[in-house]
Amino acid sequence: MSFGTEILIKVGVVLAFALNGAVIFTLMDVKGSAWMQRRPGPLHVGLRGFIFPLAEVIKFIQKEDIIPTKVDKTVFKLAPAFILFSVFGLFVVVPISPTLVVADLNLGVFYLLAISTISTLGVLTAGWSSANKYSLMGGLRAAGQLIAYELPLILAVVGVVIQAETMSLVGIVEKQIEWGLPFVIAGQGVAFVIFMIAATAEMMRIPFDMPIGESELVSGFMTEYSGIRFLIFYIAEYINMFVMCAIAATLFLGGYHIPLLPVEWVNFYGPVSLLTKTLLLGFILVLVRWSFPRFREDQLQNIAWKILIPLSLLNILITSVMKVVF
Amino acid sequence: MRNKLNQSDSQSFIDSLSSKFTNIVNEFDTLKINIEPSQWTETMAELKNEFGLTYFSWLSAIDWENEVAVGDPPKEPVSPHFEIICCLSESIEGNLVLVSTKVEKENPSIDSLVSIYAGSNWHEREAYEMFGIDFANHPNLTKIYLPDGYEGNPMLKSFELISREVKPWPGDVDVEGMPEEGNKEGES
Amino acid sequence: MDTTINPNNMPHISEASVSVEIETEDMTLNIGPQHPSTHGVLRLVAKVDGEKISSVEPVLGYMHRGYEKLAEVRTYPQITTLVNRIDWVSGFANEIPFIAATEKLMEIDVPERAQHIRLILTEMARIASHFVFNGAYALEIGALTPIFLAMEDRERVLDLIESVTGGRFHPNFNRIGGVKPAAGAGPTTKKDIQDLPAGFYEETKIVMEKVLEGVDRFENLVGGNEVFRVRTKNVGIITKEMAEDYGVSGPILRASGVKFDLRSHTDFLPYDKFDFEIPVGENGDCYDRWYVRLVEMRESAKIILQAIDSMPSGPLQTKVPKVIKVPKGQSYVRTENPKGEMGFHVISEGGLGPYRLKIRTPSFSNISILPELLEGQLLPDLIAIMGSLDFVLGDVDR
Repeated sequence: MSFGTEILIKVGVVLAFALNGAVIFTLMDVKGSAWMQRRPGPLHVGLRGFIFPLAEVIKFIQKEDIIPTKVDKTVFKLAPAFILFSVFGLFVVVPISPTLVVADLNLGVFYLLAISTISTLGVLTAGWSSANKYSLMGGLRAAGQLIAYELPLILAVVGVVIQAETMSLVGIVEKQIEWGLPFVIAGQGVAFVIFMIAATAEMMRIPFDMPIGESELVSGFMTEYSGIRFLIFYIAEYINMFVMCAIAATLFLGGYHIPLLPVEWVNFYGPVSLLTKTLLLGFILVLVRWSFPRFREDQLQNIAWKILIPLSLLNILITSVMKVVF
Repeated sequence: MRNKLNQSDSQSFIDSLSSKFTNIVNEFDTLKINIEPSQWTETMAELKNEFGLTYFSWLSAIDWENEVAVGDPPKEPVSPHFEIICCLSESIEGNLVLVSTKVEKENPSIDSLVSIYAGSNWHEREAYEMFGIDFANHPNLTKIYLPDGYEGNPMLKSFELISREVKPWPGDVDVEGMPEEGNKEGES
Repeated sequence: MDTTINPNNMPHISEASVSVEIETEDMTLNIGPQHPSTHGVLRLVAKVDGEKISSVEPVLGYMHRGYEKLAEVRTYPQITTLVNRIDWVSGFANEIPFIAATEKLMEIDVPERAQHIRLILTEMARIASHFVFNGAYALEIGALTPIFLAMEDRERVLDLIESVTGGRFHPNFNRIGGVKPAAGAGPTTKKDIQDLPAGFYEETKIVMEKVLEGVDRFENLVGGNEVFRVRTKNVGIITKEMAEDYGVSGPILRASGVKFDLRSHTDFLPYDKFDFEIPVGENGDCYDRWYVRLVEMRESAKIILQAIDSMPSGPLQTKVPKVIKVPKGQSYVRTENPKGEMGFHVISEGGLGPYRLKIRTPSFSNISILPELLEGQLLPDLIAIMGSLDFVLGDVDR
């Protein structure tokens, strides 16, 4: 197989996986909200609400893509692409099964965290270029929040890396198979909780959705966007949610492996296993989103710097000590 | 069943007020003190500090005028003036009193109450734009409802309702032309 | 000034500190008139330093409809349709003070049954209004679910109001001297001809049970949430003195620890016959304001259940002249609207309409506290505080 064909196939796999994931998560979010809020639309209308995402996409595509006169046009147009690029990039290293992985990088975790920061750039440029005070405040809030929560996210993963002695995601899963237990039980429970909280903040979902903060900043950095560009933000949000859950499942829940099942068959049940775990985590996020109010900006920063970061540092310390002792 | 609607008819409260103010009217359960405009701020401070009327309810004005552009004129002729009414209350018994004073129509002016009751700020601004009454020592006497370029004081009796001039309200006809029989509204 | 540098007086390098204050210009942020959480068309011109608010200037008048002027060219029965629209969230409660003031001037005795029906509908309007607050406030804090539940619960109460009056928002049900006859929307019973619709009592009991359930659910879902608590506790504290100074009334005043409820202070409706509590807050913060309203819904449901059990029989209206002319006089009547003290000062010169009608609306005084309250607060708190004041723009601008 030539290099070109291989790249094409890999891009195709990532696209298919990411977009389908986004659709599934959109559906889950909307269905979850409908179930909690007794909304008739997503529960009963149109094949019991299952064609809802399709209607959503068609609605956005047919809307006019309004670009206000005062905006910085190039940056304004490019900003959604930054975000989409960052979330698609994350898929590259997530192993769906030992062999079904776009690229098993040796520094997989490092790559992951580096790529995920690019979305900050997209949010900040979107906020700045919109020439709108609400957008600007949303963008600045997002920058502050993403930087603050990048740290606990990284530090929580460091614990896993120390325990697994590798930075390759496949290696981390292999290590969990070796231990016989996923890391969330075998010592990284605190790191898992920190990771999930920080990931929620990274995704800018309730209770950490101040950059969007509908009741305060109208729609934050997305205020001036409409039509297809807004759709890109919207899809990116769900792809991001999907990939973050998949990463959490890989790092902490054993990824494609299920304990007690034979390792030889992992190529068969691997994708199903990963998808199930991802959806489970996503479901928790959906429940949280539809039942929590949002924090205030300073409270959010307090949680990051005063609680999550010290805790994750402590987690690293304990993990290292255990590693040396045993 | 007659109800007492305000508790300002509690006798001890009226007695304590009567000892201080001479011109007290108590009609329709509404207690009203008439004072001179020169006593306006002192009276308010006194009512607040000595009679415990700490709750500021509202402040507004009435344009007494014989020739009116809207509505009906008063039945008996009145001397044209502005009546400024301030409503104070206290929050334990619910006693309520209206304080009223008269200012003349030419360059109407009275002292502001903002230093005594902070809440009178917006009420005075409303009276200023609606009647053109000047409140001396008000921190920010600007229009509150009306747009910046608006001219005139809409609540004056001489201010015409333009739409009413263009098209008379059919409501008048309804009331005047009501048939003797047929409409049972108003009868049980 | 000593310009020479004495090395002995110089601080040691370890003691040196740099204090440079970076002077930044405040940004003017226009919140409203189109904004998701200004309840309509309130506009706040805020000067913000980052997230911190240095000053706020509310701009009103986008919904000023000139009701006081309009009232001067309307007859008394026509004005009730106007006052319905002042605070449209609790339309029925607006009619009561105007009708009561007019009846006072005409010296009319209202039949007991009419008073009871008025009381029941006023309390229903209060429940409906507080449901809207509960849902909208949670939405402003960021929780998306409660508004849907609140609207569903409110709809049941509005259905009840509709079954009696024929209108959900603007009942226009009160007449001078009683309530509208032939009111029942459904088939009437033989016993109460032209009265409350058949099955109203049973339906009310069922709905009130649901309301109480709904209130409990809100207490768990919203009040039990830790995020909601940290967002509202000790935020936007209004002291007793400040509240009274500004004429803040209703649940906001009671949350500041003043037990001032016109339902117990005046007799505009026969509240003295019923047993109910007046909830009072301690701190005067946003949480207290939310909680006071929550408890008030329970108390209102209690009052309604008592009232339908002790409903007197009798006529719905007293005899009044066909053409209503109010004798000369002035009367001020204030009632406990869901939002606070609502009062009408009717000045009659003996004509078909009032010579002047002063409308005292609760929301106008309630939000006049905003500039002082918001100074130095954070932008997200602005929304939390503004929401907790529970104003309606029609009530502010009249």
